[in-house]
Amino acid sequence: MEATSEKLSIDKKQLLSGLRVAASRIPLLAWFLGGLVAVALEQFIGNPFARGIGLPKVPVLFGFVIMLKKPFLIPSAVLYVVLIYLLPVAVVARLTAASMNRLAAKLLDLKMFLSVILHLLLFYAVLHIWAEMSDYRVLVLKLMLIAVMLTLSLNIINGYMGEFSCSHPGFMALGAYSASVFTVWLFADDRLFGPALLPPAIGPFLFPIALLVGGLVAAVGALAVAVPSFRTRGDYLAIISLAFMFIVKSLIENLEVVGGPRGLGNQPDWANLPVVFATTAICIWIINNFVRSTMGKALNAVRDNEMAADAMTVDTRKTKILAFLFGAFWAGVAGGLFAHVLRYVNPGTFGIQKLAEVLAMVYFGGLNSVYGSIVGACGISLLGEALRPLELYKWIIIPLLLILVMIFRPTGLIAFKEFDVKKLVQPKKMAD
Amino acid sequence: MVFFQNLINALQWGSFYALIALGYSMVYSILMLFNFAHGDIFMVGAYIGFGVSTALVSLAAMGAFALPGWLILVLTIIISMFLTSFVGMIVERVGYRPLRDAPRASAAITGLMIGIILETGNLALLGAERVKFPSLIETTTYDLGGVFVTNKKIMIVLVSITLSFALHQFIRRTRWGMAMRAMAFDFAVVPLMGVPLNRMAALTFALGSALAAAAGILFGVAYPVLDPYMGILIGWKAFVAAILGGRGSVVGATLAGFLLGFIEMFVPMIFPSTLRDFIAYTIVLLILVFRPHGFFGEAYSARLRL
Amino acid sequence: MTRKVFILAMVSIFAVGLVFFACGPKGPETIKIGINAPLTGDIPKVGEGTKFAAQMWLADVNAAGGIQVGDKKYKVELVIEDNESKAESAVKANTKLITEDEVLAIVGPQSSKQAVPAGGKANELQTPMISPWSTNPNTTKDRPYIFRGCFLDPFQGPVVAKFVKGEFGFTKAAVLYDVASDYPKGLAEFFKAAWEDLNGPGSVVAFESFTTKDTDFSSQLTKINNSGAEFLFTPQYYNEVALIVQQAHQLGWDKPIVGSDSWGSSETVKLCGKDCYGLFFSTHYAAAGAKGATKEFIDRYKKEHGYVPDDVAALTWDSMRIVQTAIENCGTITGDIKKDRTCVKDALASIKDFDGITGAMTFNADGDPSKCAVIVRISDQGEFEFYKSVCP
Repeated sequence: MEATSEKLSIDKKQLLSGLRVAASRIPLLAWFLGGLVAVALEQFIGNPFARGIGLPKVPVLFGFVIMLKKPFLIPSAVLYVVLIYLLPVAVVARLTAASMNRLAAKLLDLKMFLSVILHLLLFYAVLHIWAEMSDYRVLVLKLMLIAVMLTLSLNIINGYMGEFSCSHPGFMALGAYSASVFTVWLFADDRLFGPALLPPAIGPFLFPIALLVGGLVAAVGALAVAVPSFRTRGDYLAIISLAFMFIVKSLIENLEVVGGPRGLGNQPDWANLPVVFATTAICIWIINNFVRSTMGKALNAVRDNEMAADAMTVDTRKTKILAFLFGAFWAGVAGGLFAHVLRYVNPGTFGIQKLAEVLAMVYFGGLNSVYGSIVGACGISLLGEALRPLELYKWIIIPLLLILVMIFRPTGLIAFKEFDVKKLVQPKKMAD
Repeated sequence: MVFFQNLINALQWGSFYALIALGYSMVYSILMLFNFAHGDIFMVGAYIGFGVSTALVSLAAMGAFALPGWLILVLTIIISMFLTSFVGMIVERVGYRPLRDAPRASAAITGLMIGIILETGNLALLGAERVKFPSLIETTTYDLGGVFVTNKKIMIVLVSITLSFALHQFIRRTRWGMAMRAMAFDFAVVPLMGVPLNRMAALTFALGSALAAAAGILFGVAYPVLDPYMGILIGWKAFVAAILGGRGSVVGATLAGFLLGFIEMFVPMIFPSTLRDFIAYTIVLLILVFRPHGFFGEAYSARLRL
Repeated sequence: MTRKVFILAMVSIFAVGLVFFACGPKGPETIKIGINAPLTGDIPKVGEGTKFAAQMWLADVNAAGGIQVGDKKYKVELVIEDNESKAESAVKANTKLITEDEVLAIVGPQSSKQAVPAGGKANELQTPMISPWSTNPNTTKDRPYIFRGCFLDPFQGPVVAKFVKGEFGFTKAAVLYDVASDYPKGLAEFFKAAWEDLNGPGSVVAFESFTTKDTDFSSQLTKINNSGAEFLFTPQYYNEVALIVQQAHQLGWDKPIVGSDSWGSSETVKLCGKDCYGLFFSTHYAAAGAKGATKEFIDRYKKEHGYVPDDVAALTWDSMRIVQTAIENCGTITGDIKKDRTCVKDALASIKDFDGITGAMTFNADGDPSKCAVIVRISDQGEFEFYKSVCP
């Protein structure tokens, strides 16, 4: 009897390690292809299949929501996820692994840039088809991508530079409002700003400029926090940034031009999925290059020991100010997108609640790590949506989870890990 | 006249900031950590005070004993301070002790999360209704030639000043206090000299939470509407006061608490009140730009553990 | 071995799937109504009132066997979503209700902060939504699918101004409001405009503000005290009302204090106590001395939940019933959700003289009802007494 169970456990171990080895040989390209097949499958047979196995309709977010609401549907939901997502992904990825490896190698030989673009396009296709199923998925996806940008930009200041900045909601508010003012003033007929100045047809092309404006305004606002950071850091800087957040909120509440506490609405509907996805991809790419450059190393040096860094000819002032401006810029861009996704902003959104949310994402995912920020932002956003049916208790479970993560991995889930694009897109070695 | 009226208003409002800021400041000086759950411990203290005073009032009403209102209030403060200090110790044990060697920001996050759990737990337990703190003493308003003062205001200011003074004396004159001061001076070496680190940390949290409970009950007396989210904003603002006072300084935290109260009261007196937060926090920002280490803080030191 | 287990598992999963295939759901058709309410966040009490009223309505409807549409009865299912009293969360909740739960109509969100953006989404996705409590004009403006169950701020401001002028003959007013909150700020401004219309510019001698979550108003009240105002208008929520009134009295204020419909909660008197006795406010309905259906609703709510329902609960009740009437008037439910939604919208827009417990309602082109306001006096027993009715 004992022998059997031992044998079984060995079997299991072998199975697991076998799976891991098999997975390690599959390149990203093949995974994406698998995903593409899975979402296409869902698109075509998802609805009848779901109804057939007793689900009211295609489960959102991989069935979590339905599981918590109607426990007796759990087997069907699991079945759905396994048959529509896991199985096709695994099978297709395994089957195409060899050819995709060759393709990845060829692409890499050609040019890395091309390879990355192809990967992104494929990834976007997967997301797009997945989101096509319902507007709810689109919205969740957009807000999640924005959260990724926000978390990354805060990670520059809190993770790479090691300050405890609380001003991110403020930067975001500046970006959201200035981008909104730009678009609403120029392209929308609005009660506050009067009729559109430019024909709306050219609007979508100028949308990047609106985001840029948002980012730049946020960066200029960041000077108010960055300049005092020359003389002080740590806790004093934390409350300077906190005061900055209160100031921005109060300022917007008093600006009748942008609607005051009533908020600003009527933003044109330009922040569609491709735009948000592209902006996020660009943001990840630029931030990743930034933190891997000498500048990023200088940031780490300032964090670990400012005086030593100074002695080693790091221009600490320039480093600090750049990090703040850079982080604030992306927070502003994220804010601009946020405003255009919701098509309404009000100053109340950018308060302590938002601060706690972003901080949680950064520290949950991991400091000093692009991977970590992506994981943190996606994890907390998805968890927040998945646990919706629990109503109140959601806000006990998520904090508890975070406390556990902090206790067992004090720097977050995936901290201090470099995000190497080449490693991601290169073909995986075949063990012959 | 308006000036004196606002002075009195500011004294009362500043008392709350001062009492809460003391809790932040003590934890800060000894463990070099922010206790972001402190605002919510203040809330829990107020609710415990509500429970204790309701129990005492109903016992007195049933004829178990006859107590005047002010005595019930004193008893409530003492019992709630005692009970809330355990809440503080639990928070320390769960959220801070396991993270003592982690980056400081991680502990800040656990504090933040414990705060959210306390808020939500309260909402789940007691429901959405706001709670009215029982009025234990009758409000009497004195008219001093156009300046209106109530007995409650006088009591609140006196109690909070007494408590800060008592804490000051405790830290100056007792052995425990000496150990705390030593710990604040050097966190690494002092435990080697036989000072029990864990017990000191627990004591610090207990003291801070007791003060927060006192603040919570006084708050209930002055503003008798309690809700689960009442601790967030006042907590963050008291945190500003604690740092503004200079880290780890009892006198500094008390004074800065009152200073913040004064700023928030006098800004609307002079400027349009819609701009209150804008101007008040610009002042705070400017103070920190010109005095980057607060009022009583030491200059930038290499002790920052991150 | 492993392979065997694996195959066995796969086969059994497929078998289970097939069983489900065989007995797929062929139950009776139901109508889903979405509720978007702030169950957590700043105003959980509002969410609770919404939920309770909606559930009472559901119990009623299902006890009657469902909603009668044409010659068929449809069971009703409520989908209640929490919006955490955040704007973005309200939009998410609405999107989920519309696209995932496929509700026929939505009731909520309550406060304008959430109703304005959430209404935008519902209108875009062509789903009828009725916000029982949002008084901000922007909620329904240029949105054919959005309705509301209450009167608007631009109506309420003049109502209060005229009432005070006629009742007391005052000429100098003071206003204290929350600058960071949409509803109080809007109403404060409408009131100011109306008052200055009546008494000439400068007749609002103090126009003071604070920020959400503040608890000490003594600085502003000191200013008001010294401004020579004859009464104070404060369109605040019930928790702040208690603090404002008590602090005003402690600072020596003995003149009248007047409020708005946000006072109309059973909690106002509970929290405020004797300080609030004798004060006036304008609102949607008066609980004390109510008659007929209104009294029936109040008594039932009180019996089930232990307290007198707030105006939010009463307005939600009315909104639910308006939605029910609209669905009934629709005639047929085709099962094509898009068509049905448009049909419900058209039926809502054409409702005439709906007899609600908070007054009769007819929607105008913007989807706003024209309703009468009620002036309520808080009696010396702490009850909301009907004092006067003001119609547009």
